[in-house]
Formats: sequence, C-alpha cells, structure tokens
Amino acid sequence: MEKDRGEADVEIPVGIVHPALLEPYRPRFFLQDEVVTDCEITLDAQHRGIERMMEGIPVDKCNIITERICGICSCVHLWNSVRVVEKGLNIEVPVRAQYMRVIINELERLTSHLIFFGHALEIIGHETLGMRAFIAREPFMILLGELSGNRVHYACPIIGGIRPRCNPTEEMRKKALTMLKPAAEYLADYADRILKDAMVMSRIDGIGVLTKEEAIKYHAVGPTARASGVNWDWRTEIDDFKHFDWDVIVLDGGDVKDRVVARVLECLEILKIVEQGFKNLPEGEIRNRDWKLGKMPVTTCYHEAPRGELYDSYGLDEKGNVRHYKCRTPTVTNLGSMEVACLGEHLTDAVLTLASCDPCLCCTNR
Amino acid sequence: MLKEISRKNAVHVMLVYSGGCNGCDIEVVNCVLSPYYDIEQYKVMLTWNPREADILLVTGPVLKRIEPALKAIYEAIPDPKLVAAVGSCAINGNVFYNIGGDFGPSDEVAGPLAKVLPVAANVPGCPPRPEDIIATAAVAIPILAEMEV
Repeated sequence: MEKDRGEADVEIPVGIVHPALLEPYRPRFFLQDEVVTDCEITLDAQHRGIERMMEGIPVDKCNIITERICGICSCVHLWNSVRVVEKGLNIEVPVRAQYMRVIINELERLTSHLIFFGHALEIIGHETLGMRAFIAREPFMILLGELSGNRVHYACPIIGGIRPRCNPTEEMRKKALTMLKPAAEYLADYADRILKDAMVMSRIDGIGVLTKEEAIKYHAVGPTARASGVNWDWRTEIDDFKHFDWDVIVLDGGDVKDRVVARVLECLEILKIVEQGFKNLPEGEIRNRDWKLGKMPVTTCYHEAPRGELYDSYGLDEKGNVRHYKCRTPTVTNLGSMEVACLGEHLTDAVLTLASCDPCLCCTNR
Repeated sequence: MLKEISRKNAVHVMLVYSGGCNGCDIEVVNCVLSPYYDIEQYKVMLTWNPREADILLVTGPVLKRIEPALKAIYEAIPDPKLVAAVGSCAINGNVFYNIGGDFGPSDEVAGPLAKVLPVAANVPGCPPRPEDIIATAAVAIPILAEMEV
C-alpha cells in the first residue's frame, strides 16, 4: 500500500541504471517545489544471492566467494570471514601475518576513501580535484598489485595466516617504503587542498545534517557515524591493530562536510599505520598449520570495513562445510540514515547527501 | 573512408554495471577517466547516454533484475554498435554462475552476457588490468570503424 506522502507534489524516481548513481539502485525523492520532503530507497538491483550459495560449500571456497561480495573493500570481507573460523576454532595467527593483514587492509581502506573523494567531488562538479583523487590513488593500487599480485582481489588472509604470495621479501619491504613516501606526500597535499578549497567547502558545509541522536537511532556506522560524534571503531577491538599507534577520528558536525573531512583525516591515520607496519614488520612464520577443521557452532565476528561495521556469522558441520551463513554490510544502515539526513534539502543536495555516506550497493545487495 | 576517420575520432563508451562486485567497474572508470591511464587521449570518451554511445561495456554476471534495463539500453544505442564483456563475470558468470552449495549456484543470474546480447569483445580477468582494457579498446575500435552501417 502506498504511504501517505503529506504535502509532496512531485515524485522524482531515479534509476535503476542512471548516470547520477553509478551503481544500480533506486531512490525515489518526493518533492514539494524543489525541497525533498520524503525519500525512499529500494535496494534489490544487485542481489546475487550470495548467502544462499554459501550453504554447504567448503569453508575455503566460501572465503573466496566472500571476497567477491565487493570489489572496493574485498580484503575486509575475506579477513572477517576468516576471523570467524579462527575465533570459532581458536586458531592462533603469527605476528607477521597479522601485520600483513593490517597493511593490505589499510591500503585498501585508503584506495576506497580516495574513490569516494573522486566520486563526491565529481558530483559537486569540481572535476579537477576528482581527477586528482585518481592520481593520488594510483600509486597505492600499484603498491597493492605488487604486494599481493592483484589490484583488486588480493586474497591475502587464509585460515591461520596469509597466502604465501602476499609475504613480502626484504627487498619488497624497502621498495614499498620508498614508494610510500612520495605517494603519502602527494596525498597530504591533496588532503590539505580539499580542506582549504573555499569552493568545495561552500558547496558541502551545513548540507544534509545527521545529528548524533539520529545517527544512533538509525544505527549509522563507520566514518558516517564518527562524523556525527559517535565514537566507535571496531578496529580498536581487534588484536591485530594493537601493534600500531593510531587515533580514531571523531567529528561532531554531522553534515556532508564533516563526512568528507572525517575520511580525509582518516586517510592520514591510515598512512601512519601502513608506514609503521612496513617499518616494524617482524620476521617469522606467516602461517599456522596446526589446526583441523571440524564442527563449529555459529560464530559471529565484527570488523571495520571502509564504510563501517561489517558482520559475518556462520557455523561449520563435521566435514568443514559452511552452515547458516549470514553477512551484514555497513551501507544498509548508512543509506537508511541518509534517507533521514536528506530531508529538507534541495534535490541536487539530496543526491550529494546520499553519496556522502559512500554507498556501496554491491556489498549491500550481495 | 570519411566515415571511418570520423568514427575513429570520437568513440563513446557506455558502462553498465550489471551486478558484479564493482571491481571491474572501478578499474574501467579508473582506466578511462583517471589521468594515469587515460584512454581519452586516444579519443575514447565515457558517456552515460546510450544515444551517444558506440561501445557498450558490460561488467558483472547480468542479473535478472537488470536484464530488461540492459536490453533497453542496448536498443537505444544507434548502429553501428559493439558490446564488450569486461571481466570474468560477464564472460562466464564467474563464482556466481559456477559455484554453489546445497542449493546450487545463484538463481538471480540471467547471464553470462553472451546469452543476453551479442558480444564482440571479451576482456578477461578478475578484475581485468587497465592495460588489458586499453588493449581491447585498440582492437575493438577498428572493427567498429569498418562496420557496414
């Protein structure tokens, strides 16, 4: 049954394939004159039925499919899926493997944030800065490609450690450090440029405000929530990140500007983590082979994906096959809170507000 | 002759995400738009308007939900036109079409792309490297220029 839309007099449906969205989904904006009074988002276009495919397949195959949930944050899906087994069967992970997992994951978070800048700045209309995001991103993609052998699907974590091809030689470690330095300098300049650009700031300042109460009520997660003043990051709960010295970025404005600034500042924190990782990379084993698959009750793990909280949960049967697989990705709740944040804005700002939570529909629909 | 030259000088590419994991999409956008790889220097432009497009790039395994939209987009592209499948998903369905547990592989997949549209070029890889995408463009553009329409 159609909901009562109050005073709205125009409906603007967008999608499912539309230039403004890039990924297929279907927001419907209800407008009064040009002001958004209601927004409704339909998410079904990219549903591949991954959770259904998982039922009863061997756990190592399952891990590879979890990586195909998303091509932007692929490592974190795989890592979290692997962590479920490691937590359920108490498998220890060597320190060197922990370091490499963090390094690959954080570099991926960096490239993900840089895609967001490129996309958001293009929506604003500042194409030059958007292009520069891609220039800043490319050295990190090349570094990831050289470290892991693939530019997007790194396939780094496996149960009990990391894949041998992701184990860098001493030469590679030094090369990575030298590659990192100019790229980091460029990124720092670029971040400074975004934050000081009056034109960009005038377009995003005070738009699409999500208050702390709303963020908690609609369960916004990740940088979206942290820009609204919610101090929560799952990385602080994960042992692998305890080797590193870094800060959680929390801002309290809650508008589009703060969501962009939170990610910019997070990029600089990531650079700190990656540099520490390559400098202090310990020697030693990369894989613990001392474990056996068996019956495992349903176990749940949380992780911080680039966009926020990622939830994976499944159990194993006697043969080591996956049962009751369940996965929840951050964009579901983030887009829900953006539906609220874009109310009262003009239509052009509403599209920007939706994009400002960095929606990833391929994760969300699965 | 004149047609060939003019076609070669303004090739417009339209990209449709048909439900893959986004890896290929980002690589294509990165490849076409970014200043690092930059196919625009070879006069290949990315467009979002099917009436302007010459080449349709499709990524992903073509889900049932997107199939009608994809066909409508293909119909809207004026002749001559080519379809290129980018990435393993579009070529053979990848994990979504081939791997399955107790319930079999994914029910949502209508593809691979060759079942839905006539495919002229394939770019393999999961995801394909930008160099491969540029190489395929170099192969596909002369075919497009010599098409009889």
